[in-house]
Amino acid sequence: MSGELLLQVTVSGLTNGFLYALIGLGLAVVYKGSAIINAAQGDFAIVGAIVTVLFTQSAGMPYWVSIVIGVMAAALLGGLMEVACIRPMLRLKASEESILLATVGLTFLIGAVVLVVVGKAAYFLPPIGGEAQVQVGSATLQRHAVIVVAAALLVVAALAAFYKYTHLGRSMVAASSDADGAVSIGINVPLMRTFTFMLGGLIGGIAGVLQTPLIGVSFAMGIAITLKGVAATVLGGLVNPMGAVAGGLIIGLAEALAVFLFNSGYQNVVTMGLLIVIMIAMPNGLFVTARRRGG
Amino acid sequence: MDRSLLPDSVRAGSASTRHSGGRGLALVLTCVSLAAAPLLLSVHYVDLLVFAALLAISGLGVGFLLGQAGIINLAQVAFYGIGAYATAHVTVAWNLPGLLGLLLGVVISAAFALVMGLPLLRLSGHFLALATLALMVIVTQLFFEWDWLTGGSLGIGGIPKISLFGWTFDTPMKFYYFAWPIALLCFWMLSNIADGRPGLAMRAMRDSPEAAEVMAVDSTALRTKLFVLSAILGSISGSLFAHYVGYISVESFTLERTIVMIMAPVIGGVRNPWSALPGAIFLSFLPELLSPLGEVYRILFGLGLVLVIILFPQGLLGIANWRRVK
Amino acid sequence: MNAIVPSLLQVEGVGHAFGGVHVLSSVSFNVPHGGLIGLIGPNGSGKTTLFNIICGFVHPLTGRVLFDNRALDRSSNVVQRSRHGLLRTFQTPKVFEHLSVLENVMAGLYKCSRGGVLASMLRMPLARREMLRMQELAEATCNVFGLGSMMQRPAGSLTAGARRNVELARAVVSEPRLLMLDEPSSGLAKEEVGQLREQLARINQSGLAILLVSHDMDLMSMVDRVHVLSSGEIIASGTMAEMHRNPEVQQVYLGL
Repeated sequence: MSGELLLQVTVSGLTNGFLYALIGLGLAVVYKGSAIINAAQGDFAIVGAIVTVLFTQSAGMPYWVSIVIGVMAAALLGGLMEVACIRPMLRLKASEESILLATVGLTFLIGAVVLVVVGKAAYFLPPIGGEAQVQVGSATLQRHAVIVVAAALLVVAALAAFYKYTHLGRSMVAASSDADGAVSIGINVPLMRTFTFMLGGLIGGIAGVLQTPLIGVSFAMGIAITLKGVAATVLGGLVNPMGAVAGGLIIGLAEALAVFLFNSGYQNVVTMGLLIVIMIAMPNGLFVTARRRGG
Repeated sequence: MDRSLLPDSVRAGSASTRHSGGRGLALVLTCVSLAAAPLLLSVHYVDLLVFAALLAISGLGVGFLLGQAGIINLAQVAFYGIGAYATAHVTVAWNLPGLLGLLLGVVISAAFALVMGLPLLRLSGHFLALATLALMVIVTQLFFEWDWLTGGSLGIGGIPKISLFGWTFDTPMKFYYFAWPIALLCFWMLSNIADGRPGLAMRAMRDSPEAAEVMAVDSTALRTKLFVLSAILGSISGSLFAHYVGYISVESFTLERTIVMIMAPVIGGVRNPWSALPGAIFLSFLPELLSPLGEVYRILFGLGLVLVIILFPQGLLGIANWRRVK
Repeated sequence: MNAIVPSLLQVEGVGHAFGGVHVLSSVSFNVPHGGLIGLIGPNGSGKTTLFNIICGFVHPLTGRVLFDNRALDRSSNVVQRSRHGLLRTFQTPKVFEHLSVLENVMAGLYKCSRGGVLASMLRMPLARREMLRMQELAEATCNVFGLGSMMQRPAGSLTAGARRNVELARAVVSEPRLLMLDEPSSGLAKEEVGQLREQLARINQSGLAILLVSHDMDLMSMVDRVHVLSSGEIIASGTMAEMHRNPEVQQVYLGL
């Protein structure tokens, strides 16, 4: 086992880890704001990426403009999801299992729409920052990977600032932690939930745009992406955004190690196996010591 | 889990109308219709109904877990695949009769469900659903990776027809009269469980796990048994599938399939053990009805699925449930 | 206290702490066969923890609990204790909402029957006979508890008082040895408390031991003996009359 190879593997594992962290972050945001685990989170990434692809390739727009449109589209999808699906279910007092099942159905639906619009093929986007490469010790990285890391950290910081310093952010926190109290001070709780989903969509869209240059995007990828994000966020403690980042990195590294030691085909097996183990052994994540049952 | 799975109004009552005449009549009518159908319909529809039977069997398993115990099991397609590959191997590679393949599939699925069930079923709610989903991803990935066993994306072909007591089920009509009695038998047996002591314990456990514990209901043991039962049904369905179509590959064992399997009982009305039957027939004919629309049908299918979950928690058999208001 | 026949329930030197804070310190008392024992104490006295330890929801740090001369340890969880005849009720009655009243009470007989998945699946005679027997016994018990007219109604649709009766019927139908009641009168109107008192007296007279935790002095007046818990220790034991005269007990309650 050469040290160089190990370093290379670690570096790519961390890069992927930040991507998983972003998906996990989106999941954590939605869960924190609505106590709902959205199985269609990965589809925000897919839609964000596909819309960006369409605007770049078919409409020939500048890359950055397409990215903005793509991410906005994902955010809008999140809002639509909340209004059209979640809100009616909550009004009908559906159980958390029903809602989860509905989001699983949405994964299928969104995948079907993408299939009809762009077909079965996998699409790629040009790496952000061009084809340039960067040296880290003996390992080489695409500049894009560095941008992934930077973007992920930026999103985390922006999110923290948003929740703490903006009126909207604080309202969303209030609405999710104490709905009755929030209503009494004039906060529109359902609207806050819509914004929560839009935020989840936004973060998911960003993740999609960032990951497509590396691994491409296709119609059926949604659930696999979601599950990796779930692994990241559960490891990090479900509502803790920083935890999602840490969790994502651990998952990314574990996966890279698995690829290194075994065949690359086993990476999903390893990450999914890790998810199961985490949920059973550490339902509250690595960073919380309270013994409550997860779920 | 303190709340019911789907938003039943509390008026809806429970499933203890064991000897209600209405249910008996419905059952008789169903059996008669099913018996007569192949004689009245074209081969094409008989073929669809065969697939409906297979879906009904695997849907029965997940539906039972969902409706009686509130467990969302998204791993069913994994056991379906194990059943299919097991029987394909036994008959193609080892040249043994199909029934042995079925048996092997059942044994492997049951063992696997037991081993995975014991740790997994300590979870509940979201986590359990997600864990079964993760399990499904793992197993289907292994179907792809272990191509020495499964043929990977090339699959296994030339699976011979299955026979029983000298009859070979080599046409849709013959297979129909093989698969549907098996399906009905399975439904009958599981309906008996729901009416019996285990069914009572499960529904109690679902309403209040602590009170059920005080009543000495060992919930992990019970849930594990039902999970194994569900896996066995998935396996049987998969084995029958392999012998019906003659060729299987990883394309048959997807997330879409596992979702369709859990949709069947949801559409039928999850709290009723028989729900997967009308649900499966509905789901098997729906693509047929929508196919003139082309690719778009998948979107309508997905849309329909989501709408059913949101708007019709009682499902098609929901009307029957309301009659149980006493 | 009868020194020859061992008690049904013996709590010996039980102590427990949560996160470094001592909640119980060496608590000892017993419940004789067929006795009616009360446990009172202000909020924060450790009553709930002690209760949960005895019925198996929590394992004590020190000391032990003996039921019918058998030590209940880590391996003896709630399910096991239930099988030995140690049952509890909850402060807010936990009925099975979607099950009918009759089915709720039948559930109480779960541990007295054996028909498993296989037997039910094949409708074997054993399983069917058992279910019928369970139904008969449950019906009889429902009638005793005044639930005869509402047996088919879903338990979730009942009033607080009726739910309490369902919980009691469900507990009593399996003829347990000891029934532990956690604030059974909470949520009940005054007449309902009176009815509850009669129910409990009747149950106790048939030989079922009761351990009662309650703030309600009306209910407490029926106990043979009461133990007063304060800050994790038993500070006094005796009849209710003696407790009323005990200055330490009065102070613990007045000082609240």
